[in-house]
Amino acid sequence: MSVFDRIRRLFGGKKKETVPFKILFAEFKKSLELNNQILDLIADANDKLSGDYIFGEQYIQHTCRQLADLVRQLIVTINHLTEQKYAALYISFHKIEEEIETLLRGRVLGQVKDYILPYSMISRKLIDSVGGKNAHIAEIGNLLDHQIPDGFAITTEGFNLFLDENNIRDEILSIRRSWHQSEIPVDEASRRIQRAIKEAEVPSKLQAEMLAAAEVLSRRHKDVTPCFAVRSSALGEDEISSFAGQYLSRLNIPLKEIPQAYKEVLASLYSPEAMEYRLMMDFRPHEIMMAVACQLMIPAKVSGVLYTYDPVRPENETMIVNSAWGLGEPIVAGEVPVDHFVLNRRPPHEIREVQIVHKTTTMVQRGCGGTGIDGVQEDQRRESSLTTDHLRELAEIGIRLEKYFKRPQDIEFAIDRQDRVIVLQSRQLRLQQKRAPRACDLSDLEEKHPVLIRGRGIAAMEGIAIGPAWVFSEDKNLNDFPMGGILVACHATPQLARVIHRAVGFITDVGSTTGHLATVAREFRVPALFKTEHATEVITDGEEITLDTECLTVYKGAVQELQYYAIQEEPIEEMYEYRLLRRVLKKIEPLNLTDPTAENFTPEGCRTYHDLTRFVHEKAVETIIDLNFYHAHHRDTQAGKLLWDFPLDLILIDVGGGIEGSHSQGIRPEQITSVPMRAILEGMSYPGIWDMAPAGVDFTSFMSSLTRTTSVRSTSPEDVGRNLAVVSAEYTNINFRLGYHFTVIDAFVSDNILDNHIYFRFSGGVTETIRRSRRTRLLAKILSHYDFLCELYGDIVVARLKRTNRERMMKRLFLLGLLVGFTRQLDVEMVSEETIDIFFNKIRTIMEREHGK
Amino acid sequence: MENKQTSILILDDEPIVGKRLKPSLEKKGYEVEAFTSSKEALERIEERSFDIVVTDLKMEGMDGMQFLTLVKEKYPDTEVIVITGFATMATARESFNQGVFDFLAKPFKLGEIVDVIGRAEAKRKKSREA
Repeated sequence: MSVFDRIRRLFGGKKKETVPFKILFAEFKKSLELNNQILDLIADANDKLSGDYIFGEQYIQHTCRQLADLVRQLIVTINHLTEQKYAALYISFHKIEEEIETLLRGRVLGQVKDYILPYSMISRKLIDSVGGKNAHIAEIGNLLDHQIPDGFAITTEGFNLFLDENNIRDEILSIRRSWHQSEIPVDEASRRIQRAIKEAEVPSKLQAEMLAAAEVLSRRHKDVTPCFAVRSSALGEDEISSFAGQYLSRLNIPLKEIPQAYKEVLASLYSPEAMEYRLMMDFRPHEIMMAVACQLMIPAKVSGVLYTYDPVRPENETMIVNSAWGLGEPIVAGEVPVDHFVLNRRPPHEIREVQIVHKTTTMVQRGCGGTGIDGVQEDQRRESSLTTDHLRELAEIGIRLEKYFKRPQDIEFAIDRQDRVIVLQSRQLRLQQKRAPRACDLSDLEEKHPVLIRGRGIAAMEGIAIGPAWVFSEDKNLNDFPMGGILVACHATPQLARVIHRAVGFITDVGSTTGHLATVAREFRVPALFKTEHATEVITDGEEITLDTECLTVYKGAVQELQYYAIQEEPIEEMYEYRLLRRVLKKIEPLNLTDPTAENFTPEGCRTYHDLTRFVHEKAVETIIDLNFYHAHHRDTQAGKLLWDFPLDLILIDVGGGIEGSHSQGIRPEQITSVPMRAILEGMSYPGIWDMAPAGVDFTSFMSSLTRTTSVRSTSPEDVGRNLAVVSAEYTNINFRLGYHFTVIDAFVSDNILDNHIYFRFSGGVTETIRRSRRTRLLAKILSHYDFLCELYGDIVVARLKRTNRERMMKRLFLLGLLVGFTRQLDVEMVSEETIDIFFNKIRTIMEREHGK
Repeated sequence: MENKQTSILILDDEPIVGKRLKPSLEKKGYEVEAFTSSKEALERIEERSFDIVVTDLKMEGMDGMQFLTLVKEKYPDTEVIVITGFATMATARESFNQGVFDFLAKPFKLGEIVDVIGRAEAKRKKSREA
């Protein structure tokens, strides 16, 4: 017997007693209510990442526990409804809850279980598994398509295995504690921890995997001697460059020495400088983890370092390059004289300054496993180690990486034998503090610089951006968006997220902080200011502007002092609370279960709270239909299928006074006596509403793809569209799933104004995001026009109406009927922005014709 | 005409609060000192006065209520703004009796505290003119 069966037996009742429908329906309604609360809470939590809120750990803990509580109730509810059919949800839930609790205790969970990951499989999403250095270099290769050394990451999972198999975790913690309590000095703590690590053994499984991965690399590059560079890639290391450089890199080592080098690199995690630094940055014990980078050595002809800003004088707007012949180690360490170049940051990056030094020695590879110092050939000693072409290419790479990572960069590079520029690593460049303007120096900026927007809008992501404005319009192609530009648009639509890798800022006239674009802006830390009302009017296409979302201000021109201030500041998104909130949200927010017919649409397939919520909603609707229509009916309800001219399988369940006459042959529209249901159906069947399909599309197949209508008799209930309406004389609750659309309407209409309410929720769609977002905006426009209180979450529209008299309620329900009939085709038809107004006017015309103004 | 900057002391044992607020308020022209320990904040209060004090109500070691009472005793003109977590809303209301200017519940938006500070500033100005 499986675990699930056992649990089911434990919870499940064998006795089959029919629960009165009213009780079942109350549970069903409760599940809808919980569903809404959960989704709202998740959207709010993501909004907190914008930097616009002050929150602490308390908030994160409170929110997680509140969510856990709601999700637990939701699972209890679905199991009440189904006689414990989905008890396995408890297992998925507890697993997720436990992971979140672990995160709240300060522990970092890697995203993968692998010990080794090749660069081709790495992106920034895996940063907690592979560390910043690996994640960044892999993205530079995979997404920006620059030359990088081939390699792989040894993950934090590998690090944990190393600590656990050697049983040294507690020892390290206790030494660290002694240091924190000032019992021993940092040097002694460092020495003792490093010794423990160096004396430990690399677990045989880990050792075997790292050697195998290195073998693969050697075979793939037969042309070069297989030598390796083993570098640190600790959590949080690459975000701040003053942190980097404190760890060890072991260069040019042969394959068999990789495990030894691995241990040495791990030990450097506990250098005194690194320990002090982490104390300052409020790192929690479990955040101290090191992934390691293992890369093929590049037999460098020239090596060097590029700074995308002069760290001492950023106001000069220059980049600095230092380089010399041979391998990079002595160059990075400052042990040999180097050629020094100063380039203009702006294209075409003309060379402002050149100092060619007398280079007598160079570090070279000696076969595999060793390096040596050679003399430089006489004719090369006074020659420039870089050509003008190299310099220009480097400058371009530098600016691209800076725009991509949104921070000034410190880039290590090599020129290989084929004269290619290879990026070895790229990390944030720390500028010298004393040069930076202080916050208090910036209080009079508005007097010094022309202001385009002041005190308007909402910050979807905090930050400062400078760049050329690119004002989006219908006739423009997003593919033409320039690297480093600031996107200015009417609406914060999801399609704009496509330029996220190139944009340094977003400004829109309309938009919400809980929409899709806001979420993406936060993930990629791109400053975003929405809802400014008139950005597209006051900002000219192509002009340089400065965006400061914290002050809700846009300046004309480049306000460099703001930029220098911003690149100095410790980014708020690197504070512990932000790190923690981002980690817990990964267990909460992503939706993996999108298709109810997919194989993973099971309790075991739920990996986040959002998945659980989605699963329960689907099953709740299904259950109500199954119990009341396909199976034995409740004695206190009547159920039947709506007999209608339109291709919609709708099951009606009457809980009292909603339908008259016999149900046995189905229910004709005129049999419906439920007041709200009648109004909705009237709207849905309004002439012309269901057949506004575009010309040229096969109407029948199009409709069936939306409704997945099939004959009830010929298929099992599971295959049929799940359209359900529970009605009584004064009440209607509708759950439509038309293809991938979801519509929920809950309405009560009586003569008592205080009791009257309408709730409407619409989500999903079959087309690409751009049309979906037009549809969302159209719905919002119409609903707001007709007095609904409207909220948008991504492409979900929620509208509410309360305390309205009977007559007006009926008109509004008629409107919802129109919209349901209408919008199911809208994604297909909304081919341009103008369609929003066209459709809006159509609906208004119908409403006026029917009800007058 | 007075050119003196408005001075603000921030006390909250969650370090993110001071870290986040200090630069933002400085950018708006305020003079700001931030503390996470009430002991250190008290020492500072002994040394000098602040126009506005922003304090959390519930902290380890010392009660925020105690802190604000001391501040008010020593400098009756100082406006005190209380920030607080979820659980302590009731106590926050009580704090009004202690002459607190206003309170904010965490999490709050940057703009919200800037507004409250602006109002406190205006009140001080008005009472000085009177």
